[in-house]
Amino acid sequence: MHIHELNPWRTLIAVVIFVVILLAGFVTMTKPLLTYHLDMNESIQQLSDENAYFYPWELDGFIKKEAQNVVLFDIRDNFIFGQGHIPGAENISANDLTQEDNVERLEKLNEMGVTVVLYGENQLQANGPWMLFRQVGFDNVKILAGGYQYYAENKENLLAAKDNNSFKKGIPRYDFAEKAAPKDGAAVSTTAKKPVQVQRRQKSTVAAGGC
Amino acid sequence: MNRNYIFLTILMIVLAVGTLMLKPAKQLKQIEPETLLKEIVQPTRYISTDEVAKRLIQGDPSLLLVDVRSEAEFEKYSLPRSLNIPTEKLMADDNLSYFGVPGTKVVFVSNDDIKADQTWVLTKRLGFNSTYVMKGGLNCWMETIIDPVEPSPDAEETEFKTYSFRKGAQMYFTGAQVDDFNDSKVEVQVRRKEKTSVASGGC
Repeated sequence: MHIHELNPWRTLIAVVIFVVILLAGFVTMTKPLLTYHLDMNESIQQLSDENAYFYPWELDGFIKKEAQNVVLFDIRDNFIFGQGHIPGAENISANDLTQEDNVERLEKLNEMGVTVVLYGENQLQANGPWMLFRQVGFDNVKILAGGYQYYAENKENLLAAKDNNSFKKGIPRYDFAEKAAPKDGAAVSTTAKKPVQVQRRQKSTVAAGGC
Repeated sequence: MNRNYIFLTILMIVLAVGTLMLKPAKQLKQIEPETLLKEIVQPTRYISTDEVAKRLIQGDPSLLLVDVRSEAEFEKYSLPRSLNIPTEKLMADDNLSYFGVPGTKVVFVSNDDIKADQTWVLTKRLGFNSTYVMKGGLNCWMETIIDPVEPSPDAEETEFKTYSFRKGAQMYFTGAQVDDFNDSKVEVQVRRKEKTSVASGGC
């Protein structure tokens, strides 16, 4: 005979305590602040989404306060921000972007349908944070094409960016093949490219034996 | 033994097996978004064109250049010994198996550094280490290695050192001739070993 068969109350109390502890565990389980909403393929696709970029000519309206529902975040360091920034921009250094209050702010802006534009010294600096926020589901976050550099050099005439592609990144500025051709007048070698010998990671198979 | 106990035991075992099946079998390993942002903020992933040129000339076997431009662009021009994986095809055909090989450094190359950096973020999300971005990309490669600009006469000595390295690298990569080579014999400066004196100190 077991002890709980003699005293069913004890068993009941033990079970209740057990269930309460489990429930308390589930309730207080910390929800991660950020989780990925886009999978890898969706993340790759959104890189070529034109709506994910904020173009220099759109700044014109923002500075003149014509643009509603746009917030600019300068992700450079506070010191550099102090030396010059786009009028009306707020400073949140890249290191502080995932602080809880900043993420909550972004969530609120997202619910309100406000566009958040990230910019750094150049487009490269804001590229990583922008990709990250898009991947965790903030579809209102955009990146300033050309970054602060382009703005600083062309602030007098931002609308001109519409007609030239000098702010654009990712395009070749030279004809590489021609520029890298031998300078002594020899013909550009047109031999087919040799396949590169590369080591790959081995797939681990269950069948692989050995010690 | 009580029948209830047997029933309970079986129930526990069934539940335990059930939890094993909860996790979907095929899921890529990913790092936490917060960890990813910490990695993104670090500028340690950038590697200069000079460094890439140096390693190419030395034939560093641990270097793997991955060109993330489109196939057409790659076909027209590419760096020696580079491999083409367009960013759009990163997840296709086992391409991920090139990353994370122990002892290999993967350097992403694109027209400038944006697309290479984007690919870096994507691979970092999947937790791959030892991946780098060639700063400035091929545009910068053309400006520094293929067509280096001579520094002004009052520039720092290190700039001249960089320039002479780049000139050498230019010859290596294009077969260009040295144009300003002085034919007249240069007086050879011989450095003689200095006489050691007992009095010389140091450690």
